[in-house]
Amino acid sequence: MLGLIKKDLLMIKGNLKMLSIIFIVFILIALNGNGNFAFIPAFIGVMLIMSTFSYDEYNKWDAYATTFPSGRINIVKSKFIATFILILISFLVTLLLCLIIQYINNDINFKEIYESMLGCLIAIILLIAIMYPLIFKFGIEKSRIGIFIGIFGVTSLVSILSKVKIQVPNSLLIFLSNYGFILFLGISLISILISYKISQKIYLNKEF
Amino acid sequence: MKNIIEIRDLVKKYDSKFKLEIDDLKIPSGCIIGLIGENGAGKTTLIKSILNIISIDEGNIKIFDKDYQKYDSIIKENIGVVLDNMFFPELLNISDINKVMKDIYRSWDEELFKKYIKRFDLPINKPLKAMSKGMRKKLEIITAISHHPKLLILDEPTSGLDPVVRNEVLDMFLDFIQDEEHTILLSTHITSDLEHIADKIIFINNGQVILNNTRDDILDNYGILKCDINEFDKVSKDDIISYKKNKYNYEILVKDILKLSKKYKDFVIDKITLEELMLLMIKGEK
Repeated sequence: MLGLIKKDLLMIKGNLKMLSIIFIVFILIALNGNGNFAFIPAFIGVMLIMSTFSYDEYNKWDAYATTFPSGRINIVKSKFIATFILILISFLVTLLLCLIIQYINNDINFKEIYESMLGCLIAIILLIAIMYPLIFKFGIEKSRIGIFIGIFGVTSLVSILSKVKIQVPNSLLIFLSNYGFILFLGISLISILISYKISQKIYLNKEF
Repeated sequence: MKNIIEIRDLVKKYDSKFKLEIDDLKIPSGCIIGLIGENGAGKTTLIKSILNIISIDEGNIKIFDKDYQKYDSIIKENIGVVLDNMFFPELLNISDINKVMKDIYRSWDEELFKKYIKRFDLPINKPLKAMSKGMRKKLEIITAISHHPKLLILDEPTSGLDPVVRNEVLDMFLDFIQDEEHTILLSTHITSDLEHIADKIIFINNGQVILNNTRDDILDNYGILKCDINEFDKVSKDDIISYKKNKYNYEILVKDILKLSKKYKDFVIDKITLEELMLLMIKGEK
């Protein structure tokens, strides 16, 4: 299975040139003080792992990979693991980015950055949980519309919720500020686990 | 001779009326077996069924004397595969493929892989998308044999290649088969390749095996009897497998040419090529 994870990471390495250009552009945006940039590396990470699905599909990699001794379950497992490695790397990159900007600008609110990073992590996990079974079932090309709706839906929901001033009972606010993060993280972890199991089931019965 | 693959009562249906149906097929070890048939005859479906890429509706398949689903992982450790247009994503290069395969097959032989890459002068750091079709095909074959598989399954490995590369590729197969334990199952519609290298021919038409014999038996036994239009009636219907009516003559596919050449002394019976056999069997009138 290690080989399968390596394959995804090596493919991302193949996109490194493109990646560094995007990255530099974002550093420039962040340096300009243009809002919050904490979500950017994670966003790029997700885009990159999505691109591996596209390349896989274009070269019919999945049919080829099923002829390996690794087994179908491990093909799914490796995709999930590679995704998490990439998300982890992208968060480390975000931290590095923060340090660079702090060094240049000395104007960084780390607490705010951490909070949006964690929020971003939950959003990404939820997004993956919804998208991966769709991709394994219908392929990336057909799932693309679903992905757009997913990304659009999650971001609009977050922005709407942040703008709408709903009368929330104080006790709920206190509860959420104390346990909200753990609650959401728990929900997203459970959903990724369910998503993983569904993906496996889909992939086991898939014909190429 | 031991059988490396045994297929019994296999049925695989597709929505679009196509049905692959194989009652009993044994593939012996230690030789090159050619799978021929027109496009859509069921060659790829059979290969995909054997490799468990698609699930069959009925029947059972044994590879290395083991159930192909139950022992999937052990079996696949000993199979090398070249499939039509299915390989590593194009972003990767040869060095990447080596790194990945090292962790896929327990018996991956890095030295052997590199030796072949050097022998065929393939670029190690160029991404696959920058390679020519011939280079890629060679790489696919090298990748398939570098973990010392006992069985090599190849789907259309020579299609789209120029004659020079095709010959190099066929030489690779002959190299591989030097080891008595090695077997190659090779599907192709370029039948002339098989006339050079195959020991056995399996002919599939409309999802069914219509011929399964050694190459020599087929080429020695079948022939084309040629006769003028007005002589056609002189040939017994029992001797005609199928025929093709040309403008001035008939070409009749016949079996047992030694016997028939005595029976029809006035007619010419030519030796047959696999391509002619395939055409007459599929398109000839009965």
